[in-house]
Amino acid sequence: MKKSIKQGYSSKKGYQVAILLGFIFTTTVFAADPVQHDIRQGEGVTRTTTLSEYFPALTGTPGDTTVYIMDSGIEGGTLLLLGGTHANEIAGVIAAVIAVEKGIVSSGRIIVIPHTNNSASRHNQGTFNPGSPQWIELKNSAGETRRFLYGDRYTQPEDQAVDPEIFIHNPSGMEFKGAEARNLNRNHPGKADGTLTQQISYALFQLVEKEEVDVLIDMHEASVTSRLAFTLVAHPRALEIAAMAKMDLEMNDINMTLEVSSDKFHGLSHREFGDHSNVLAFLTETPNPGMEKSIEHPDVINDPDNPLNMRLQVVLKSILAILDNYKIMNDQKKAITIGFPFPLSDLKNTNPGEFLR
Amino acid sequence: LNKIIQISLIIVFITVLFSFSIYAQDSTDSFEQPILITSIGQSSGAMMGKVLAAKSGLSYVYDQRAGIEALDNAKTLIVVLGVSSKGLGAAGVDIEAEIKWASELFDRAGERGIPIIAMHIEGSVRRGSLSNRISELFGSRADYLIVKSAGNEDGLFTNMAEANNIPISTVDATLDVVSILKNIFNIK
Repeated sequence: MKKSIKQGYSSKKGYQVAILLGFIFTTTVFAADPVQHDIRQGEGVTRTTTLSEYFPALTGTPGDTTVYIMDSGIEGGTLLLLGGTHANEIAGVIAAVIAVEKGIVSSGRIIVIPHTNNSASRHNQGTFNPGSPQWIELKNSAGETRRFLYGDRYTQPEDQAVDPEIFIHNPSGMEFKGAEARNLNRNHPGKADGTLTQQISYALFQLVEKEEVDVLIDMHEASVTSRLAFTLVAHPRALEIAAMAKMDLEMNDINMTLEVSSDKFHGLSHREFGDHSNVLAFLTETPNPGMEKSIEHPDVINDPDNPLNMRLQVVLKSILAILDNYKIMNDQKKAITIGFPFPLSDLKNTNPGEFLR
Repeated sequence: LNKIIQISLIIVFITVLFSFSIYAQDSTDSFEQPILITSIGQSSGAMMGKVLAAKSGLSYVYDQRAGIEALDNAKTLIVVLGVSSKGLGAAGVDIEAEIKWASELFDRAGERGIPIIAMHIEGSVRRGSLSNRISELFGSRADYLIVKSAGNEDGLFTNMAEANNIPISTVDATLDVVSILKNIFNIK
């Protein structure tokens, strides 16, 4: 060991070169602009900002991302809608994009972040399935091809320090395998002086506090064979609304399994936002063939059993069911209402690109 | 003509008598409020049971894992059957402890003459081996079964009802439970 150190860094010049290279590498990584996406804001969007507005340390980092605010101007509550916490779970990403491009908010406010972990959106490492794509393409009603990055579950490895052997969740002390240090949905409630992933989480908590968010919905996907596919998870404080929403969805032929957040498993959005803020936190799971290892070439859009349009319908109807029942359980003054210029049932049989601008 | 009138009167009399006996039986069999709603297996189904009771206009107390003493103020016990490993973990119990506790709850209800309605309303997701064990142990001891058809595709509950002479209602949609509760609690 001593010998190799001596060989590598024996001269002063060697040290200088190493330091210079290290500096160049570091500044290249952290000066990288956040990934930009083709999202065309609709008439419902009243302001756009970035996540770094809520936590300036994110400015210019790959973790910064665009935040769309849709304010009805009418008294009501505030929903924070998160897509792309896991950037490969595209039903949540595209549902968020549809909300931004076509949603009309008629009471309260909706804050939408389509690419919550923007670093993860940059490239698909094939964490679940090496055959899953880098892009998806959807044709809009004008015949134009819209392209969306199909990202990864994890923050890109080059965007933060090398994974530890064991990742210890802050503040619970729960232990995970090292790569989970880059999994945003194991890092909540984050840490101001932590890794990029922890800082993204921290920024979200700052947003929740500053914007006085009442309801949070984090949109996820699971493997088609996972027990989590078609699941609605709720923090214990939000469970009654989730139970009501589940039963309403059933009347629309959508059968979601209802689960409550475990108090033994930390880092998840529904658990930590529920515990560390006043929001009612929910998480949806739809089945994505791109997350199933046994499918060699998954078709994440037109899979015959679990096509994207069906998954989008499930997610969007779940959002409406949660908001409807939130309104029932709370004062009308806290109502949050979003509508679309098309019946959501149309999604069942139509190319999802038709619902984009 | 007299004979026809006599026969008609007899038919009307029998019909009225029969209808009355059905009505009388319904009234006798009505469950009473207030209700204690709890889970056996600690899944989220009990919360759905609470929502259904609220939608039915019933007077209830919901306690995800009720203490035995909670029965003191109840006139009917509703148990929602379904095992969630996460739920058991959150309650800090294992399946054996859950069975022991539920047995004590059922025994106490029996001692106090409190009728038990068992619901299985989460469908096939609560038909794993642990849920089946709970369902077989406690569904068979209930006074009334309310079951979602998606959780009864193999006839587990209908066979159980037949074998133990338990009235059973099956529903396709969970919200259909509301009309059954209104009926058996005689809510107008």
